[in-house]
Amino acid sequence: MQTRAAQRWVDRAILVTMAALGIVMLLPFAWLFSMSFRSVADAYKMPPSFLPPNLDFRNYRAVLDSSIPFLQIYMNSVEIAVIVTIGQLVTCTFAAFAFARLKFPGRESLFFVMLIGLMFPAQVTIIPIYLGFAQVGLLNRPIGLALMYLTSSFGVFLVRQFMLSQPKALEEAALMDGAGYFKIFYRISLPQLRPALSALGIITFTQTWNYYFQARVLLEPQESMTLPIAMDLLRGYLNSGNLALVMAAMSMAVLPVILIFLLAQKLVIEGVTMSGIKN
Amino acid sequence: MSAAIAQRRSDLERAQARAAYLFVAPSFALYAVFVLAPVVVTFILSFSYYDPMAGSRWVGLDNFTRFFTDDRSLQIFWNTLRFTFFAVAGNVSVGLLLALALNRAMPAFLLYLFRLAFFLPVIIAAAFVSIVWGYFYGDDLGVINYYLIRLGFTPVHWLTSSHTAMMSIIIMDVWKNAGFFMVIFIAALQGVPKSLMEAAIMDGASYWRRFFRVVLPWISPVVFFAIVYASIGALQVFESIVILTRGGPGDSTRSMSLYIVEEAFDTFEIGYAASVAVVMTLVNLVITSLQLFASRIWVRY
Repeated sequence: MQTRAAQRWVDRAILVTMAALGIVMLLPFAWLFSMSFRSVADAYKMPPSFLPPNLDFRNYRAVLDSSIPFLQIYMNSVEIAVIVTIGQLVTCTFAAFAFARLKFPGRESLFFVMLIGLMFPAQVTIIPIYLGFAQVGLLNRPIGLALMYLTSSFGVFLVRQFMLSQPKALEEAALMDGAGYFKIFYRISLPQLRPALSALGIITFTQTWNYYFQARVLLEPQESMTLPIAMDLLRGYLNSGNLALVMAAMSMAVLPVILIFLLAQKLVIEGVTMSGIKN
Repeated sequence: MSAAIAQRRSDLERAQARAAYLFVAPSFALYAVFVLAPVVVTFILSFSYYDPMAGSRWVGLDNFTRFFTDDRSLQIFWNTLRFTFFAVAGNVSVGLLLALALNRAMPAFLLYLFRLAFFLPVIIAAAFVSIVWGYFYGDDLGVINYYLIRLGFTPVHWLTSSHTAMMSIIIMDVWKNAGFFMVIFIAALQGVPKSLMEAAIMDGASYWRRFFRVVLPWISPVVFFAIVYASIGALQVFESIVILTRGGPGDSTRSMSLYIVEEAFDTFEIGYAASVAVVMTLVNLVITSLQLFASRIWVRY
């Protein structure tokens, strides 16, 4: 009995330590939001503040009024993330339906070829894509970046795995009744896929929102940029004093991802970890 | 009669195959254009000198020879491997420690706080958090140095000394990514059979003995997976370095990704940059196959 009481104290001590560590983990975010409300003159005042001194949105206004087309950049990010998310939900679900439910010659080898794609980082594809985009006039256009990610091996894999775990009796019965394939897909398979599709949608949206390497290579002029690369630009321009402004811009940039996380914490964590277990 | 049925069957099969190809087509076409073809072209480019004006020419292994003999590229290669090693070690071990600490009963609000605290950095782009950390790491106006001085320590040149810059980037990387591995390890720990743990407790095994003899062997496939996954991510390290140090001081934090972008798009050494990308893929392959090999030998299922 004594060891059990001791064990409970150890448990408590560990939880308290972890809570303290958790708060430390969040300090950079607290600092970032707090800084975005500080006046420009106070930005470098020490000690640093981790709670906003007031809720004065002047810095946010100043970002929108600055010489950098922040609103345009924001809309580029939204445009790319929305197009890519919808695109992947459609293309990946189509392909997964065929791989999981239909029989056709070459099914295994085609699927295998698509899985190989998981091995190649963007660094191995970026040079030919840059050269190709330069040829067809897609360089420096947000739509080009969106096109690149309209499908993903991981998405096909994720949805296929999920479909394989579902019973396929309904689809087979519909086939027997002579229903068309698209109708079977749309009426029977799709409604069952909701959990997999919301996970894929959330991962794809946050991933696309965060793309940096590809965007930096393919989108050079300010009007074509996305938020992650624009942050660096903003800091570069304003590094000498407008720290508070950079943080106001950043607060706006991270807001969608944080909102998604707060609203669908479990789904995000499951989705992101699933995306890791793809191999 | 049976011939008619067979006929109908093969018609159905053909119709099904036709439908299947239509369903796969959009995805596969995009994949071929944006992944398969570029990978093949990169491999071809890596053996050539690219010059759209005067005509490209085949140079055999010259690009690779240059990469493996040039002092600067060797340092960059070494930087990347060093970053990978320490970032992987840090992320996997901190992730495992956090998982061990959190794998116990707790009130729901604490669980929410922990998930928020340790997973939020995972889903926010490194491009964003690196800017914040850039100010934290500042020499004179940095938040960390402010507290170091207040506590009576000497301030550290986090990003402005070639001795410490890489370490600072690795620390941020562990802060950002350890939560990901924590979640994976918590899931793995919950899969350890209760009967096994109870038997070990009955035998009077201490906590750490139980960990090394029972828990670690059980979750070792997940640990191996985590190591490979972390390595592949770390090899591509780009944005945190671009934003924190731009590869400096000197070349002390320049990674292969930065080098590829600079060679390809600043100096337009397309062929050479392609060969660096190919080397990166090969390192990826080596790590993955080492893992397969090692897990066959050590992992006890």
